[in-house]
Amino acid sequence: MDVALKVWRYDPESGNRVLREYEVDAPEWACLLDVLDLIKDKHDGTLAYRKSCRMMICGSCGMRMDGRAVLACKERMKPIVDAGHVPVISPMGNMPVVKDLVVDMAPFWSKIRAVKPWLDSGYDEVAEKERIVAQQQMNAIHKEALCIMCGCCVSECNSMESDPEFLGPAALAKGFRFVGDVRDNADIARLNDLNEEHGIWDCTRCYFCNERCPKGVDPRDAIAKLGAESIRQNVDHDMGAKHAKWFVKSAETTGWLRETELVPKTQGTVSAIKQIGFALNLARRGKVPPPFPPHVAKDVKEARALHDLVRGQGREGAAGIVQGEKALAMIEHVLDADPDHAAASRIDPQRAGGKSGGD
Amino acid sequence: MATKVAYYKGCLASLSAKELDTSTQALAPKLGLELDELESVTCCGAGDIHEAEPDYYLHLNARILAYAEQTGAETLMTICNVCTLNLRQANWTLKNDDELRARVSANLQTVGAPPYEGTVEVKHLLWLIAEGEGFDRLKEVAHKGLKGLKVAPFYGCQILRPSKILGFEDPDRPWSLEAIIEACGGEPIDYPAKIKCCGFPIIQAREETALGELIQPIEQAKEAGADVIVTPCPLCHLSLDAWQSKLKKATGKDFQMPILHLSQLIGVAAGLEESELKFKRHVVSVDAVVEKLEA
Repeated sequence: MDVALKVWRYDPESGNRVLREYEVDAPEWACLLDVLDLIKDKHDGTLAYRKSCRMMICGSCGMRMDGRAVLACKERMKPIVDAGHVPVISPMGNMPVVKDLVVDMAPFWSKIRAVKPWLDSGYDEVAEKERIVAQQQMNAIHKEALCIMCGCCVSECNSMESDPEFLGPAALAKGFRFVGDVRDNADIARLNDLNEEHGIWDCTRCYFCNERCPKGVDPRDAIAKLGAESIRQNVDHDMGAKHAKWFVKSAETTGWLRETELVPKTQGTVSAIKQIGFALNLARRGKVPPPFPPHVAKDVKEARALHDLVRGQGREGAAGIVQGEKALAMIEHVLDADPDHAAASRIDPQRAGGKSGGD
Repeated sequence: MATKVAYYKGCLASLSAKELDTSTQALAPKLGLELDELESVTCCGAGDIHEAEPDYYLHLNARILAYAEQTGAETLMTICNVCTLNLRQANWTLKNDDELRARVSANLQTVGAPPYEGTVEVKHLLWLIAEGEGFDRLKEVAHKGLKGLKVAPFYGCQILRPSKILGFEDPDRPWSLEAIIEACGGEPIDYPAKIKCCGFPIIQAREETALGELIQPIEQAKEAGADVIVTPCPLCHLSLDAWQSKLKKATGKDFQMPILHLSQLIGVAAGLEESELKFKRHVVSVDAVVEKLEA
C-alpha cells in the first residue's frame, strides 16, 4: 500500500522547522514505526527518531500522530491509508525537541528519579527465608507496574504545560507503584514528598494521561490512589487534600457541596479574607450562595450512615479504587469497537470542524 | 412522545449555577425530554471524594444510580461533565462486578436506600441532543436561530476523557457541540484548546497553574473571532466566567468573553425568557451577545 505522511522536521543547528511530506510503499501490516524506517532507509537518511524493541515494551518510540501522543510501533497504518488520510507526525509535547521527532527526556528522568523508584524495605539484613508476597497484594500495583516510561502521558499533561515543575503522571504513577508495594516500608516519607508543592495536588484531572497511555497504566487513577492513601494516613496538610476532604464533609452533613465554605476550608481563613473583593463580585451575581440555611438533601441521613458504615470494611484508601479495576479492565475501547466511530472519524479533521489538540 | 429521564442536576446547578437548572428545565420538554428530578440524592463527589475516600465515592454514586433506577427511567441525565464521569465510572464498575455490586447494594439497604440492580445508563444532556430524536427536534425548537453568531465550543475534559468510560465521541475530534451550534444557526469557531482543561479542579489549591490553563481557551477563542464560548459543564462555566477577572489581574488582558451554558445557547435560539435563561447571574456580561441577536 502507498502510505503518505507529513513529518515536522526540526534542525537544531539552523533552528528551522518544516513540515515535509513523504510517500512510501509499505506492506499492509506496517505500523507507523515501519513506515518511518522505510522513509529513513529509502528516502531520507537524515530523519531522526528513537526506536528499539518494535514491540511496545521499550518505550522508545513515543511521538505525536495528528496531535496525539502514541507509540509508533503500536499504530497500524492500514485503516488510515484506507480512509485516505495523511497524518501529521510531530515530537511529543512538554519536553524540549532535540531533532525532528527526538525529544530531550532529561526532565522526565529527573522526575522519575525524584520519586525514589526503588524498594525501601526498611531492613538491612538478608532473611534466611525469602519473604513471600501474595498475588493479591501485588495486584494492587499491577497497573502501575505496567509503565514502560515512554512519556506519552507526560506529552499532553495540561498541568505540566502550565507548571513545568509538576512531577507529572509518569513519575506519580511510579510513586504509587512503591507506596502500594507491601514490601516497601517508607510510605509516610514517600507520601510526604509527593504532597509537596509540585506533587499530586497539582494534577488538574484533565485525564489526557489515561487517554494516551499505551499500556493501560491510567496514571490519573494512580494519582487519585496516592491522594486517598495520603488522606488515610493523615498526610493532609496540602490545600488540595483539604479541598478533597471538604467534599466528604459536605456529603455526610448536607449531602450537597457546601460551596461557600469551600474556599476558607481549602485555603484557610486568612487567604479567604484576601479573596473577599473577588467573592463580593461573585456574590452580586448570586454566585456565592449563603451557607445558612444550608441546602440539605432529602434523606441525607442515609449518606451519613453510609459514611460510618463503609469505614471499617477494609476498603479504605487506595483499596477503594483498586477494588473497581477488575470491572474497569473489561471495557473495550468503545471507539475502536464501534464501526461508526472507527478510524475514519478519528482521523478526519473535517468531520470535527478542523484542528484541535496540537499539530 | 416525550422520553422520561431521571434528572440529576448536581451541586452547582442547585447553587451558584441556578441558571443552568432553570434553562435546562425550560428547554427539556421542547426537546421531548420529561425530567423526573431526583431528590433523595447527594453530590457525586466531583472527583474529590474519589480521591479522598474512594469507597465512599462508589457508595454515594451507587445510591444516586439506585434512586434513578427506582424512577423506572432507562436514562439518568446529567448536565455536568464531572457528574457524568463520576457516575459513569461508578456505574461501569458496579454493572460489571456482581460481587462488588452485591456488597454495595447490601450497604445501601442497611442504611435504608434501595439496592442498585445495574439497569441505568448515564447520559449527558449534550449527548441526548446531539444525535437521534433530540437532534431532529432541535432543528424545530431553535426557531429563532443564532443569526450566524460566532460560537466557540468548549468541551472541557470529563465529557471526553477517559473515552473508555465516556465514549460518546472521538475525544480528540469531537463534533457534538459543533453540530448543535450549526443546527441552531450559529457558526462554530475552531481552536486547539477546545478539548483542554479549564483548570477548575485546582483553581483554589493551585491558582497560578489553573490560570495558566484557563487563559488558553479564552485567548484562543477571542483570537479566532468568537462572540461567545459555550460549554456543557457548569464547573468549566464557573472558571471561564467568574475567574476572567483574575486573568485580567494576572496578565492585564481583559477578554470580556461571554460564556454560555449549553442549555442557554439552545435556549436563546429557542426563544426562552430571561427568567429562564438568567443571564444576569453571569459575571461577564452577556449583553453584547443578546444585542447581536436582537439587531
